[in-house]
Amino acid sequence: MAARMKLKLKTVFVLYFMVSLMGLIYALMQLGQHCDCAEHDLPKDRAISRLQEELYRLQGQIRQLEKAKQPEKKQPPKSSLSTIFVITPTYARLVQKAELTRLSQTFLHVPQLHWILVEDSPRKTPLVSNFLMKSGLTYTHLNVPTAKERKLQEGDPSWLKPRGVEQRNEGLRWLREDRKTEPGDDGQQGVVYFADDDNTYSLQLFEEMRSTQRVSVWPVGLVGGMKFESPVVEGGKVVRFHTGWRPSRPFPMDMAGFAVSLRLVLANLDACFDGEAPMGFLESSLLKGLVTVDELEPKADNCTKVLVWHTRTEKPKMKREEALQVQGLGSDPAVEV
Amino acid sequence: MPKRRDILAIVLIVLPWTLLITVWHQSAIAPLLAIRKDEGGEGRREAGGQDSKEYCASDKDIVEVVRTEYVYTRPPPWSDVLPTIHIITPTYSRPVQKAELTRIANTFLHVPNLHWILIEDSQRRTPLVTSLLRETGLNYTHLNVETPKNFKVRGDTRDPRIPRGTMQRNLALRWLRETFKNNNSQPGIIYFADDDNSYSLELFEEMRSTRKVSVWPVAFVGGLRYESPKVNAAGKVYGWKAVFDPHRPFAIDMAGFAINLKLILAKPQAYFKLRGVKGGYQESSLLRELVTLNDLEPKAAHCPKVSSAFIDLSVQL
Repeated sequence: MAARMKLKLKTVFVLYFMVSLMGLIYALMQLGQHCDCAEHDLPKDRAISRLQEELYRLQGQIRQLEKAKQPEKKQPPKSSLSTIFVITPTYARLVQKAELTRLSQTFLHVPQLHWILVEDSPRKTPLVSNFLMKSGLTYTHLNVPTAKERKLQEGDPSWLKPRGVEQRNEGLRWLREDRKTEPGDDGQQGVVYFADDDNTYSLQLFEEMRSTQRVSVWPVGLVGGMKFESPVVEGGKVVRFHTGWRPSRPFPMDMAGFAVSLRLVLANLDACFDGEAPMGFLESSLLKGLVTVDELEPKADNCTKVLVWHTRTEKPKMKREEALQVQGLGSDPAVEV
Repeated sequence: MPKRRDILAIVLIVLPWTLLITVWHQSAIAPLLAIRKDEGGEGRREAGGQDSKEYCASDKDIVEVVRTEYVYTRPPPWSDVLPTIHIITPTYSRPVQKAELTRIANTFLHVPNLHWILIEDSQRRTPLVTSLLRETGLNYTHLNVETPKNFKVRGDTRDPRIPRGTMQRNLALRWLRETFKNNNSQPGIIYFADDDNSYSLELFEEMRSTRKVSVWPVAFVGGLRYESPKVNAAGKVYGWKAVFDPHRPFAIDMAGFAINLKLILAKPQAYFKLRGVKGGYQESSLLRELVTLNDLEPKAAHCPKVSSAFIDLSVQL
């Protein structure tokens, strides 16, 4: 009886082996074959391949157009355009993703732009990490939390404490570290611009700032309670500033109204923003260590055009959301807004 | 007894293999093999930054290569295959107008086959808007119509009884009907985009496949994190996840839907109602004349992140 069982088991195993071998051979043969997939040829697949063909054709067209444009415009090849390093502090709030999305859509139009996004957070958040990955921009993602006593509390007016100081300084620190690894003149070429995530930037602004030798300045719209604030230019030099608030400041302008050449940033390793500076003196705390008013380079047609606006975004009204959340029926938090 | 055990053993061993072979024949393995032979699979990696707009599934493929070559021609060249997106934006003079229009133009410059219809609420076309439009390089149409003073919002407070931008949007609809009267073959999608909103680039690719009216969630509206349509398992809209009057026929924001041009041309009487419209009912006043709830196509449901949210929503509420 036992022998018969053993025999049976052996045959079972042999059978098993044969079946799996045949199955494997069948599968391998299928790989090389042209199969009749008429019933599987879904309309979606057809649409996808049609769209992809269209995409290649368009990309080919774009490349041709680019080649045709270059000799006309005498545009220097991409590598010799100086890089614009944009340092943006950001913090988590409802409209963060919307603001960053809008900003990235502007930056995507600017060649040779390196975005340094610094989060006010002890850890890099997945929202910003994923967003940057998909943005298509050249970027550096940093983070540094603001000390509690320096942070604005819930009811505080926005002008009470300076914001983004640690983050901008961290951006500068990273930049200085990074440039150490790129010796040579090329690595020193560039412009540093401090761009907040809720302002509006025109594309022309970036082309104006690219030629900064030391510190360049231009008007900023809708800031300081005025239609615009601007340096006043006479004879190609800045003589004074048109501003409504505390014009006695060494540099009475907004963060969005100037850019510093990378060379200057690297030559003055200690220059950074002073968080203890009084209201409105934040920009001056950096610039006074770098340049004098006399050396400022006016851009935007001798400071007659407004190319950047200090827009602010209204905080969305969440009364109904809060009411729902009390009942446990709030919007699904898994959906990233 | 041993015999039964043997038989049981044999059955247990052979069963999985028979299952495997039957599943093999019926499953998607065969078409997967077919697609791999198609060159389509390779090219997706070259597409770079442009491709992520098409549909989310390709995200994981292209993440690393995205930055190699971004093209700076603006706007992208016109395609003969893609349906045109007609964007209708009413605008009016105020200090932030130029900033808002600049920002939104920077967004639109990324979208292929986009036609921007900008309607000013003014007696004459202003030079500010005229020169801004010209400098962007976009394909645009510049119109204007002034809202009579008794309809205008007094001061700047948002009085919901007087819908802003209605006459301007209606003018755009009329312009479209007059321009595309005989040319029914040109596919187009109509979207009402206000100048102070933020739009992701994926949105425009989602709306391109609209057959009648498509809908999607909108953030920061109606006092919620987002309002959205409620979608059942069959992929049909059956209600609205909104707190502000969810029993409106279409409890959706102006930025939450897009209409196929053919539908607008087929129903030449459909316009936004000008008078006697309750706050929040403006969108319904137009959509009611075009589609029923059943005809709506929910979008932004293909992306894995959001589609799971949709399922949660329909279960929760």
